[in-house]
Amino acid sequence: MKSTLSPDRWRCTRNQNGWLWCIPAGLLLCLFAATARAQLTIEIIGGGADQIPITVLPLADEDNFQQRISQIVSADLARSGRFRLQEIGSVRPLPSEPSEVNYRYWKNRGSQTLVIGRVIQRPDGKVEVRFRMLDTAKEAQAVGYAYTIVMPQMRAIAHKISDIIYEKLTGEPGVFSTRIAYVARFPQRFELHVADADGVNSQFILAHNEPIISPAWSPDGTRIAYVSFEQRRSIIFVHNLVDGTRRVLAAYEGINSAPAWTPDGKRLAIALSKDGVSQIYMIDADGNGLTRLTNSNAIDTEPSFAPDGKYILFTSDRGGSPQIYRMSVSGNNIERMTFEGNYNVTPRYSPDGKSFAFIQRIQGRYSLALMDLTTRQTQILTDSPLDGSPAFAPNGRLILYASIVGGHGILAAVSSDGRIKQKITSSAQDVREPAWGPLAGNR
Amino acid sequence: MKQIFIAVCAALLVAGCSSKGTTTQGKAAIEQRSVADQNQQATADEAAKQARIQQEQEQLKQQVEEQKRRQEEEARKTAAAEAEKPVVKPLADTSMTGKALTDPASMLKDPASPLSKRSIYYDFDAYNIKEEFQHLVEAHGKFLLEHKDFKVRIEGNCDERGSREYNLALGQRRADSVKKAMTLLGVTPKQIQTVSFGAEKPKAPGHDEEAWAENRRSDIVYIGIDTQH
Repeated sequence: MKSTLSPDRWRCTRNQNGWLWCIPAGLLLCLFAATARAQLTIEIIGGGADQIPITVLPLADEDNFQQRISQIVSADLARSGRFRLQEIGSVRPLPSEPSEVNYRYWKNRGSQTLVIGRVIQRPDGKVEVRFRMLDTAKEAQAVGYAYTIVMPQMRAIAHKISDIIYEKLTGEPGVFSTRIAYVARFPQRFELHVADADGVNSQFILAHNEPIISPAWSPDGTRIAYVSFEQRRSIIFVHNLVDGTRRVLAAYEGINSAPAWTPDGKRLAIALSKDGVSQIYMIDADGNGLTRLTNSNAIDTEPSFAPDGKYILFTSDRGGSPQIYRMSVSGNNIERMTFEGNYNVTPRYSPDGKSFAFIQRIQGRYSLALMDLTTRQTQILTDSPLDGSPAFAPNGRLILYASIVGGHGILAAVSSDGRIKQKITSSAQDVREPAWGPLAGNR
Repeated sequence: MKQIFIAVCAALLVAGCSSKGTTTQGKAAIEQRSVADQNQQATADEAAKQARIQQEQEQLKQQVEEQKRRQEEEARKTAAAEAEKPVVKPLADTSMTGKALTDPASMLKDPASPLSKRSIYYDFDAYNIKEEFQHLVEAHGKFLLEHKDFKVRIEGNCDERGSREYNLALGQRRADSVKKAMTLLGVTPKQIQTVSFGAEKPKAPGHDEEAWAENRRSDIVYIGIDTQH
């Protein structure tokens, strides 16, 4: 635990399916040390091809602080499955400034990218965090920042550093500073939780003894819409995360469910059965301006907006079995999207709008699938018996979903190419209904 | 018969007079026998004879008394039966009085009545009421039709498989289909609420077909009887 989380600290075994299971000892320890009731534990299963090698050195003097930044950064990068974390070697002292770096040594060790830095306790109580990412081939700095923070921001700044490294090396935004929401079930109790993307700092925003389903983040990350059964029927609430207040969005007769925010965050598509069978309606975020969108005598539910706001994917059994359809936001131009099998549900647009995730029943299993909207080809990403509730990471790289293992609900994640898998378990009886919050820049 | 009775009585009377002494003697004899058998056989024979006579006398007495008691009892029974008759008759004859004595709530709990069964089960992804449950829905429909002050809540449920949201909509369809069947029988819609719990409140906790079959269900809940809600 004293130095950085290097690859030699990972316990890796290959299981019968050939998946590589890697459990970072340090990460598990620090997660177990957290005492919140429903803290999540993330296990990485498998790894992507073409992993980028990177050496993250311990930041000088980071041992003086409870949260060690290089450990958090290493765990973030490893969890993404896109990096191969290299050993830090035996040379001492370790460099913390570019002038101290022996580039030839690191090049000979095969390190193309080196992360160094220092953590400084300032007399005013604040903390200065300096980090640099160096290109050993060019013998130059690729990126570097210094932050002045207060102690509780230590984890947040580590995630920010991870985001910068990730974006610099992959060209895509990192999602380490984002948050997730999920539902934890205990005996006689349901809790709606919000946690950091690495599962740490999990805390509930709502708890009672009736079910909670379908949390949905507003595009700016300040509100979560969800369905609560606290009045012994489904009612949609919009919960403000900033001040902790909430208000009823829809409590019509019958079901009130499946909230989905428009990309501008002003309205929501919801499913109501007030006029008979479940249909899709639009409603303003303040509960006004209800208008009906679909007009079928079949179940229409689970709306999902295209990122450009022009289309809505939804589930309907108008054809005799639940299938996925697409319509324009005016409710016209309805097109059936799925034809394989007789149970295709829960569509979710990818953040780039080029594909959508959904749940397909194949040979009695409910698997996570991905359809390319251009080719209309479907790729099956999971093979467990009962997967559901897919949620894209805001960069589209990972899909978080609910699964059942050993009779207990767990969360899992799979990369959109199917190569990297994560298993996220909790001390709760069940964890389910994941929803991935937006990128920090959207706030 | 009378003569015999008198003769016996007389004989008994004679025997009875001397019996006190002999009984004591007999008792003494029994007590003494264990000590020594020097007592005369004649004395023993005499005592035994008298004891037999005494036994017969007592049996007769008992028979007489028993007969008397029976006669008295019969007389009482007849009298009682005659006294009850006027009270019983009007109740048995007036059907209106009979109905009023039946509590409708207890009808719902009578295990012999189809009304005591409250659950309708479904196939996967189906909401149609299967033939085997139609009589059940009809029985409750008729009951509600005849008891307009009763209200029910029909709770639609699904098994855990598939989409939670789709299941919530399906559970509503299940509950609504029961409501529709009842209103077609003439039940006032206001007597029937519906709610869907989707897959969120499984009655059977398992993850196998047995649990799933139990959880694909609509429950008819009588408000104020089955629940406080």
